[in-house]
Amino acid sequence: MSFREKSAWISFVVIAVVFAAYFWNVARVLAGQVESREVYLVSIGLLAAFVVLEIVLHLAVALHSPGEARAARDERERLIELKATRPAFQVLVVGALAGVGMIHVTSSTWLMSQVVLLAIVLAELVKFGVQIVYFRQGV
Amino acid sequence: MADCAIRNRIRELRFDHDEMTQQALADRIGVTRQTVNAIELGKYSPSLEVAFRIAAVFRVPLGEVFQYDGKDRKS
Repeated sequence: MSFREKSAWISFVVIAVVFAAYFWNVARVLAGQVESREVYLVSIGLLAAFVVLEIVLHLAVALHSPGEARAARDERERLIELKATRPAFQVLVVGALAGVGMIHVTSSTWLMSQVVLLAIVLAELVKFGVQIVYFRQGV
Repeated sequence: MADCAIRNRIRELRFDHDEMTQQALADRIGVTRQTVNAIELGKYSPSLEVAFRIAAVFRVPLGEVFQYDGKDRKS
């Protein structure tokens, strides 16, 4: 498995795990179980965990194969990244429009921002997921 | 993945060149070993530039490395 594929796996799994926890907290706020202020610190902690996990795991993989990590992306890797960007952008647009559409449902800017954040997270998951598929099956 | 209409003899040519490894070929043409593997397996059609680089490594014409199996689209 190439460094870029490992990188895609790391980002996919870290985003999925960290933001699943984040949106579980958002769901608790929406259900009225907790106040949004109460999950604020948890959210900051999760975002910090996201950054730390990305750095530490990428560092570990780079130390395992330093040559590959330093090398520039080759043409196949660049093509895979480009092809994965298209479906990710479509998800982001749909999510952003859903966020804008929320204006007819709620006046809560917090809720609108969560919908936009969810769109960004889903778009990133689609991007890394499609990259993994292309790395595995060919492009 | 679309069916690849381009066949290649890279594995055979590597064998004929002292069992050159995929990594050695990858280093010489400036791509990753995984990309060489994908080209060999027909999972990726390389750019014309990389195709020429591969042919240059083996010192053969491009047509001896890659063969096109697809039908003529005009007919």
